[in-house]
Amino acid sequence: MGFREINSKMVEATVAPGQRLFSQRGAMLAYKGEVGFTPNLRGGQGGVMSMIGRRVANEDTPLMTVEGSGTVLFGHGGHHVQVIHLSGDTLYVEADRLLAFEGTLEQGTVFLGSQGGVMGMVRGQVSGQGLFTTTLKGHGAVAVMAHGGVIEVPITPQRPVHVDPQAYVAHHGDVRNKLSTALGWRDMVGRGSGEAFQLELSGSGAVYVQASEEKL
Amino acid sequence: MSTYGTPGAAPRVLDPMTLPSDDNVDAYTFCVELKGSQWFMQKGKMIAYYGTIEFNGIGHGRLDRLVRKAFHSPLHASDWVVAEGSGKMLLADRAFDVNSYDLDDGNLTIRSGNLLAFQPSLSLKQSIVPGFLTLIGTGKFVAASNGPVVFMEPPIRVDPQALVGWADCPSPCHHYDHGYLTGVLGGLRAMTGLGGVSGEEHQLEFVGAGTVLLQSSEALMTEQATGAPPQQPGVPGGGGPGGAGPGAGGPRLPGQLGDLQRRFGL
Repeated sequence: MGFREINSKMVEATVAPGQRLFSQRGAMLAYKGEVGFTPNLRGGQGGVMSMIGRRVANEDTPLMTVEGSGTVLFGHGGHHVQVIHLSGDTLYVEADRLLAFEGTLEQGTVFLGSQGGVMGMVRGQVSGQGLFTTTLKGHGAVAVMAHGGVIEVPITPQRPVHVDPQAYVAHHGDVRNKLSTALGWRDMVGRGSGEAFQLELSGSGAVYVQASEEKL
Repeated sequence: MSTYGTPGAAPRVLDPMTLPSDDNVDAYTFCVELKGSQWFMQKGKMIAYYGTIEFNGIGHGRLDRLVRKAFHSPLHASDWVVAEGSGKMLLADRAFDVNSYDLDDGNLTIRSGNLLAFQPSLSLKQSIVPGFLTLIGTGKFVAASNGPVVFMEPPIRVDPQALVGWADCPSPCHHYDHGYLTGVLGGLRAMTGLGGVSGEEHQLEFVGAGTVLLQSSEALMTEQATGAPPQQPGVPGGGGPGGAGPGAGGPRLPGQLGDLQRRFGL
């Protein structure tokens, strides 16, 4: 089970009866065997309440359920694909970056303001996450899309990581993030370095960074 | 991560002697060596060349014989040029991955926008599938794809946008998944458009022996005109009696499945 990376832009997933997979609509490239693709009205897991939650939070990327038996190839829009394995911890990622994830993962939506109050909301605006972001929790694999290649930067308690908000893709683990600003009078007169806002991640876990400042 | 090269190494400088002959320079550039020979190439795909190479549009009187031999559809000949002379020529296309393929007395059908260049020992024909071209014979050709090309064996069902081409297998057929549109809930879904469509109702199905070429993303390259088939009865897509007419009907309303809906009588 899980995803097998065929090349930097394509992953292969094996589906077996009783195992479900969620994927972004239209991201299937090819499949072998008897596999069905059903659009998911609720946009993921959980009941109607979590659907409403996602709609309100604007995290309701159209998903479809993949069921059956066979192998499926996923890829989308020429974006690079990174497979992340989760073993019990939580991945924070934007819903529209999700290419596919295993049904064993628990999907949720969090309000960024709950982590740092007003600064959390400002941080969400700067990093393009908005006020809400999607969480995936449990054991399983996730395929995440990014523009350009992805590198994984480990975060240890002694060494916090600073990330350009536009290059931030996702993070997992026990990580606290805060927006650090280095605004000075130069930024006010338009002579800034262009790196005034940074995302500072501290704790223990990993952050995924894309080699591009372009959003999806 | 060794594909990124040695960090700190100086960029590789290539000259006419060190450029590869009929091989990839990197994933995005292909070098063709001409020794008094000819290559067909799509207009505007040459990025640089060494030596003396002449580019002639097809339809040039001198090339008539060649065109007669290698082109079996004169209708789309205007999109191609013949490179002739001696030297080395670099081909690339919008930073897409470029690869060469050798055909040995074989056949391969490819999306028209993906084919960059081919040797005149191959002959180019229109495929019966609109938008595709078939190469028959022995020789080398160069094709571009968005992301590396993946080769798969039939039986397989492929998203139409991910298909680059196929070799040695019979033409594909259409496959529709509409399981979720049946029953009471499915009917409601189809009528109202609530819940949306998965976007994967329609695939191309390949069976038999052969190879199917896939590109890893669904971003398409611009279609090249392949010319219209002759307007004759019995020619698929020819517009003659019995052929499919142009797409009828007004604009598709949101929630409507369009043709799919009609096909299932919904």
